[in-house]
Amino acid sequence: MTFRIVVFISLCLSVGLAWIIESGATDVFLEATRPDFQKIPLGVAGIDNSGGADSPAGRIRLGNRIEEVLKADVRRSQVFSLVDLASIGIKVGSLGAVPDPEFKKAAEQGVSVIVWGKAGMTNDAKDPDVNMDGYVYDAGNDEMVGGKRYAGATSVVRLMAHRFADELVFRYTGEPGIARTKIAYVSEQGAARELFVMDYDGYDARQLTADGFLNLMPKWSPDRRFIVFTSYRNRNTQNIDMIELATGKRWTLVSLSGLNITPALSPDGNFLAFASSHEGNSELYSLDTRTKAMQRLTVHAGGDLSPSWSPSGRELVFTSDRSGGPQIFLMSMDGTNVRRLTFEGDYNAAPAWSPRGNWIAYVCRSPKKEYKICLITPDGQKRVQLTSGPGVDDSPSWSPDGRHLVFSSTAGGKSQIYMINADGKDLERITFTGTHNSAPTWSPAS
Amino acid sequence: MKRLQSIMCAPLILGFVLLGLSGCSSKAVQSGGDVQSSQQGAGKGSNEGGVSQNIPDTSFSGQNGSGGLRGLDKNPSEERLGGNTLTAKADSGASRQMEEIRAEQIASAAAGLRDVFFAYDSFVISEEGRQILARNAEWIKSNPGAQLKVEGHCDERGTSAYNLVLGEKRAKSVRNYLVELGVSPKQLSVVSYGKERPACTEHTESCYSQNRRGHLVVKTGK
Repeated sequence: MTFRIVVFISLCLSVGLAWIIESGATDVFLEATRPDFQKIPLGVAGIDNSGGADSPAGRIRLGNRIEEVLKADVRRSQVFSLVDLASIGIKVGSLGAVPDPEFKKAAEQGVSVIVWGKAGMTNDAKDPDVNMDGYVYDAGNDEMVGGKRYAGATSVVRLMAHRFADELVFRYTGEPGIARTKIAYVSEQGAARELFVMDYDGYDARQLTADGFLNLMPKWSPDRRFIVFTSYRNRNTQNIDMIELATGKRWTLVSLSGLNITPALSPDGNFLAFASSHEGNSELYSLDTRTKAMQRLTVHAGGDLSPSWSPSGRELVFTSDRSGGPQIFLMSMDGTNVRRLTFEGDYNAAPAWSPRGNWIAYVCRSPKKEYKICLITPDGQKRVQLTSGPGVDDSPSWSPDGRHLVFSSTAGGKSQIYMINADGKDLERITFTGTHNSAPTWSPAS
Repeated sequence: MKRLQSIMCAPLILGFVLLGLSGCSSKAVQSGGDVQSSQQGAGKGSNEGGVSQNIPDTSFSGQNGSGGLRGLDKNPSEERLGGNTLTAKADSGASRQMEEIRAEQIASAAAGLRDVFFAYDSFVISEEGRQILARNAEWIKSNPGAQLKVEGHCDERGTSAYNLVLGEKRAKSVRNYLVELGVSPKQLSVVSYGKERPACTEHTESCYSQNRRGHLVVKTGK
C-alpha cells in the first residue's frame, strides 16, 4: 500500500503497462507487479538441523521442515523464482553464519539471493523451545546482508518459516508478503456448516464457530480482528453476525426479517454492505458501523447481492438478476451510477474486486455450462477465463497482494479449496480432508 | 410473468414481514441493542428493526506497510513468536437444536407433506407441483394450529450466494401458491438453504433434480 502512488490521469493507457486503471474513478494506481516484472532468482542453501549430538535423534527434523515450508513460500511469493542450487552444481557443506564460498559461484551463474540457516530445539521433553536462525546473502553485495533469529514453542515452527519468507519479500519489494495471511472458509461438520480459519497454505486449520447450524460466506474485517458472515442460528431469520477471532465473542449485526446475506466491510471498516430481502426481494444496503444508519443502495424488482468493495472504498461491484440471469454490475457506494459490467454468457456472479483495483474476479458459466472463474477489468475492456475443466468453481477471493486467488471447486468430487495465480498458473489444492470445504476468503495482510 | 406475480404479491409479503417483526426485535434486544435504524438515500424502508446498536469498532486506518516485520539485521536479536490460540467454544445449545430439527423431520414425515421440484435455474411451480401443493394445502388448512416453514433448496450448480437468492424465490413461490389456495399466511414462514443442505450429494442430473426443491417442515419448537 505504501508503494501505491495515486496519480491523476487525463488519458487511458493500455492494459499491460505499469498503469492500472480503476474504472469509473479518476485515480490510477502505479503497480509493483507489472507484467514485465522479473522474478528475483533465489536459492535456499539449506536450513541445518542444529542441536548437536544431544538432540534426540530422529525426533524431529526441524531444519528440513522449515526449509520445506520456506521454499514453498518463496515459490508462491511470485517475487522470487526458486533456484535449485544442486542442479547448477552448487554443493554447500556445513553452514555457519558466514556465507559459503560456493555462494559466489552461484552468484556468477545469476542467482541473486541465497538464504540459509539452522534450527534446533531444547531438550525439555515436555515443553521444548524451538530456535531458528536465518541468513540472507545478496549477490550484489557479495556478503551476508542480514538475518533473523526466532524462538518459540513447537507450534510456531511453520510460522518461523512464513515470517522469514515475508521478511525476504519485504526487503526486496517493500510489501509485507502473504506467507502469514489466513484463509477463512466454511466446512461441513455433520449437518452443520461451520467457520474455520487456516494458514494461507492450508495448514493449521482452527474451528471458529460450533453452533450446529449453517454459517456461510465469511468475510474479514480490514484489521483482521473480525469475520462477518451469515448465521442460521436464529431459526426465523438468517442474520449477519460478526465474530472476534481472538476471543470467539460474537455479535448479531443485522437481524432484519428474511435473508440477510453476503456481508462485506469497506476498506476503511466504516461501512457494512450486505444483501437483505426484508423489503421483499434481495436488495443491497449499507450500514454505517459508527452511526448505525442504514442506507438502501438498490431499488429493483430483481435480486441484488454479493457486494465487493473497490480498494478505494468508493465503488461496489455486485451480482444482480435484474436483466434475467445473474450478471455483474458496478455502482458508487451511495447506490448511484449503476452500470452493467458483464455481457458475455448468461450467468455471471460472486464478484471480488482485486485489492490492486485492476481486476474483478467472478464466477462465469462457460458455453459448456461449466461454472468457472473469470477475470474482467473494471472498464469491461478485457476478460479472461482463468479456470477450465469439470467441476463447479465458486467464491473467488483475492490475496492481499493481488497475485493469487483462492476459490472452491468440486473438480475433485467433493468441494475443496484451491489457490491459483492471477495469471492462471500454479493451480494448487490446499484442503484435502472433510466432506465439504467452501467459501474461502483471504485475510488482509497483517 | 412470475416476476409480475411476485410484485403483485408484495403487499401480502409485507404484511407477513410485519407479523414476523416481534420475533425479530427480541433477537435484536438479545444481541444487546435497541431496535433502531435510519433510512436515507434511494429507498424507503418498511422495516425499522433488526440492526444492532452494539457494533464493535471496525474502523481501520490503514496498514503501516511493514506488516509487523522488523527487517533483516546483521546481528539479529531474538524475536519470540506466539502461537495461534484460536479454538471454537462449543455451543451448548447445538445438540438441543439438532434434536429439534430431527423432531421437525419426524413431524413433517407424519403429516405426509410432499416436496415440490423445480426446473434448472427456475422458480416456477410446475403443473405436477401445483397438484402436490393442493394436497399439502388441504393438510395445512385442516391443521390450522400448525406452523410451517417453507424451505427453498437448489442443486450444487451455480454460486453459493446466488443459490440462496434462488432458493428464497422458490420458497416464496411455494408460499404464495399455498396462500392462493387459501392457506393462512400466518401459518407459513420461508427460509432459503440455497445449495447448503442438499438431499443428495452426487454430481448427477437425477441428484440435481432431487435437490431443486421446495420442502415443507412442520415446526415443533418456536
